[in-house]
Amino acid sequence: MGDATTVLSDTDARHLLRRTGFFISTRQLKSFTGKTRGAAANSLIRGAGTRFKPRVRYNVDDVDLEREVHDNWLNYMVSTTHQFQEKLVLFWHDHFACSNVDVQNLTFMANQNQLLRRHCKGKVRHATFKDFVKAINKDAAMMDFLDTVRNRKNKPNENYARELQELFTLGVTDLQGNANYTQDDIVQIARAFTGWSTQQANGPGLKYGDAYLDPVQHDGGAPKVVYTTVGGFGPSGSDITLGGSNPPEAEIDTVIDIIFAHRDSEGQSTVARFITKKLLEYLAGPNPPKTVIDEVIANSNFDGSSDPSTAWELSALLHAILVHDFFYATAAQPSSVKWPAHYVVSTLRQLKMLLDYTSFTKTITVDGNDKIVSIRRYHLLNDTDNSNSLRDRLDDMGQLLLNPPSVFGWDWELAWTNSGTLLARYDFAVAIAQARGTGRTAFRPDKLVDLGLTDPGDVVDAVTALLQVQDQFPVASAERNALIDYLTDSVVNPPPLDLRDVAYRNRKLHGLFCLILESPAYQLQ
Amino acid sequence: MALTRRQFIKRTGLLTAGGFLAPGVFRNPFLERALADAMGDKYLIILQADGGNDGLNTVIPVDDGSSGALRMRYEVVRNTGSGGLQIPASALSGTEIDDDLSSGTPLALHPGLSGFKTLFDAGKLAVIQGCGYPNQNLSHATSKGFWQTGDPLGMLPGTAGWMGRYLLSVPYGPLDISAVNVRTEVAAEFAQTGTNVLAFTKLKTFTFPYDDYDPGDNLAKRTAYSAVCTAASVAAETTRKFLGNAGGATLTASQSYPAIEATYVADRPTWNAGYTTLHSSLANDLREVAKIIYAVENNVDPAVCARFFQVRNGGYDTHSNQGALSGRHNNLHVEVGAAVEQFYNDLDNMPANGGGMVSDKVCIVWWSEFSRRINQNSSGTDHGSQGPMFVIGGTVSSGVYGNHPNINVLNSQGNTIYSQAAGDPYRSTDFRDVFGTILRHWLGVTDPTTIFPLDGGDPTKFWTVPHFDLGFLP
Repeated sequence: MGDATTVLSDTDARHLLRRTGFFISTRQLKSFTGKTRGAAANSLIRGAGTRFKPRVRYNVDDVDLEREVHDNWLNYMVSTTHQFQEKLVLFWHDHFACSNVDVQNLTFMANQNQLLRRHCKGKVRHATFKDFVKAINKDAAMMDFLDTVRNRKNKPNENYARELQELFTLGVTDLQGNANYTQDDIVQIARAFTGWSTQQANGPGLKYGDAYLDPVQHDGGAPKVVYTTVGGFGPSGSDITLGGSNPPEAEIDTVIDIIFAHRDSEGQSTVARFITKKLLEYLAGPNPPKTVIDEVIANSNFDGSSDPSTAWELSALLHAILVHDFFYATAAQPSSVKWPAHYVVSTLRQLKMLLDYTSFTKTITVDGNDKIVSIRRYHLLNDTDNSNSLRDRLDDMGQLLLNPPSVFGWDWELAWTNSGTLLARYDFAVAIAQARGTGRTAFRPDKLVDLGLTDPGDVVDAVTALLQVQDQFPVASAERNALIDYLTDSVVNPPPLDLRDVAYRNRKLHGLFCLILESPAYQLQ
Repeated sequence: MALTRRQFIKRTGLLTAGGFLAPGVFRNPFLERALADAMGDKYLIILQADGGNDGLNTVIPVDDGSSGALRMRYEVVRNTGSGGLQIPASALSGTEIDDDLSSGTPLALHPGLSGFKTLFDAGKLAVIQGCGYPNQNLSHATSKGFWQTGDPLGMLPGTAGWMGRYLLSVPYGPLDISAVNVRTEVAAEFAQTGTNVLAFTKLKTFTFPYDDYDPGDNLAKRTAYSAVCTAASVAAETTRKFLGNAGGATLTASQSYPAIEATYVADRPTWNAGYTTLHSSLANDLREVAKIIYAVENNVDPAVCARFFQVRNGGYDTHSNQGALSGRHNNLHVEVGAAVEQFYNDLDNMPANGGGMVSDKVCIVWWSEFSRRINQNSSGTDHGSQGPMFVIGGTVSSGVYGNHPNINVLNSQGNTIYSQAAGDPYRSTDFRDVFGTILRHWLGVTDPTTIFPLDGGDPTKFWTVPHFDLGFLP
């Protein structure tokens, strides 16, 4: 049994860094080994998110301009020192999923990306997870994606009201399988959101994309009472329209306050359990037990049960997860499948490769005028085919960033891996092996591996370690033996390997990297 | 492709004995006969309209008929003018189908579905109205889950899909590929099968990649990859085990499937081009199905023996900007109608192994997780309840089956009400009766309640009495 004071072993430190980032730097590993779990977690969580925002040159609905925004973010993930932050931005992009297929507004998508980054790990001055959700209420991309901007008095649109509860805060059912809300609750909350729009241009006091309420389109009729009939539990009968002190603009904040006060059929905070479970699934692994969920909530005071004044602080929640035994137990049995973005970014970072790019020009229409614009398409070195850009490769692997398949985000774990998406990963692995050349975009195994190694087992172990495979292929394991056979072409009593022989190295060392990138073990984190 | 423990042990035994290198080696030479005994020489293609299709603007009342006042209500709930969703009766004359049986109301398909109208007139398309399940849950995820597990009340443990349960009874071997999903993931209907279900979007790119610089090393690499996967497939950790199996099956399939593309393209250039001209993802996806069926019928590769398919078409969640005669919903109808018509005609002109045309071996079923709200909002519709399904195939009997939902009587949410009351002129069609009819009359399952467990409860409100003989299949 461990806690925040438990000292990290080398294995623990690797696990922590692997799950909270894309690759483990020697420097970080050295500094974390021997630290306590709590101190290590603090150093990962310290400080609010950075201000990085993917660059939008022209806010025009065009696939190649979207490509630039996408690639800008991807390159940031490949190079940033804020690895945990970006891993969490991916989480929130999946959680508050909005697709530019529908939003069709790069400025709004980039602004949302920045909002996710600002709040991703808490520690935002005067802003908690509850404030994060309140900000999402008024986020222009979200307001468009889930139709808040089309939700009008007498013509209510329930899209946001439903997903706000189902996907963002409560879940359809609690951990016991009891319904958390009814259709009428959706209707009442939809009424509270009637009349909101986003500013279509910069104006006095309001910038392009800012949310505002048109009182004429706001449903100020009958009281909006929610959670009256949910199985006799929950904060029964909370009224969104709290009276004179609660102007119509405040109703959407009140909705969030009421949702965050929701109690499940065991009297526990529904929001706290819902979001804690999901973060545990992301950072630790599938199927966190209820006892762990509740311990993490209690240890972080996330639901405010021991001190309401410090409730809903994401940094405290993340800290409690990262010092819990459940998190470290998953090191021994990795069962969490890398997301495609993790797979790609991890591989590039471990191999110390940057992306190459091809520039091309295209004509786009900006404010009614045709303009010839130079666009960069990022890809692996030598991999210049139009359909092989990193964006397209991620799409083939099942994760086109800025375009989640629906408001549900992506399906995780085994859903990432089927015949088609696995082949897309293998195709990427081969493209890595084929990125031959010089410079920082090239794949240079000769710079990564000690060319003096002559024992095939040592070579396998060196590459496995370099690629930071969680559960290394142990000596005498069938995987390791298969890779040794590959290096020696199954020759019995093979002569010492000569990695300085360029022809051998280009064939077998490249092949070995490729095989490990394709192996089941490497798909796990 | 999650496995039960029993299936896993069964499969692993074979994998460890044989590895993945030789597609077809372990193929049961009697597979085809065994399949034919179990299900006949048949194919089943499931089309998913993802997002909740607006049924009221799919099968539309043209006028009020002998009774029922459906059109009158339709004109109240669907507006004209900007953002209005009403389809004028005058626009429906080209796509009229049969009358609603109980009310006598003449019905028409949305004009965008003219492809379906052609198939209807050819006697190959059944319209099944009012499909749903008790206590419609208006969540996309939950509702899709109900349709795909076939178990809305959660009578069965686990989350196996209904096709997954069915496939356990079909004598495919552990290395056979029973089903292909032309999409980026295995659809939930097929979850937990004893055989392999492949998911890919393009046959052409479904190839195992090798280093172009060094083709001489390909065999060594394949051998090593296969051994690594075999080793993982007996790992203690279940996810790694799964990845080992998936990797092995993928290698096997990658050696048989991509090659069949060329055969179809060479042999059927006109049909191939016909899909291209439709410029839709659904047409492209159905063409991949046609290529596989063509390969099976012509014994192009013994390892290609899939009989079950799933294709998804998204975009139906039309909360806003739905459109009436043009716009989003119309575009979806046009896309589906044209793609399915092209696909059916391709198969209807494809000689079948054993004589006749392939279309007679094919059943296509189209579903959506729910319909949409009867009263429209400013320019779209929110989530609703019962909606239509379509079944298409060479032996399907055209016609309108089931009753139009009663849009004059709505529940407090503004949705039509699920009813199983005998004699109710608006009695709903449970979706399990539609799939069950296909299981019994197409695939020879004597008792589909082994796949779809009956509900308990009030027999007027729950699915307690099956109707697996809806009549659209002989």
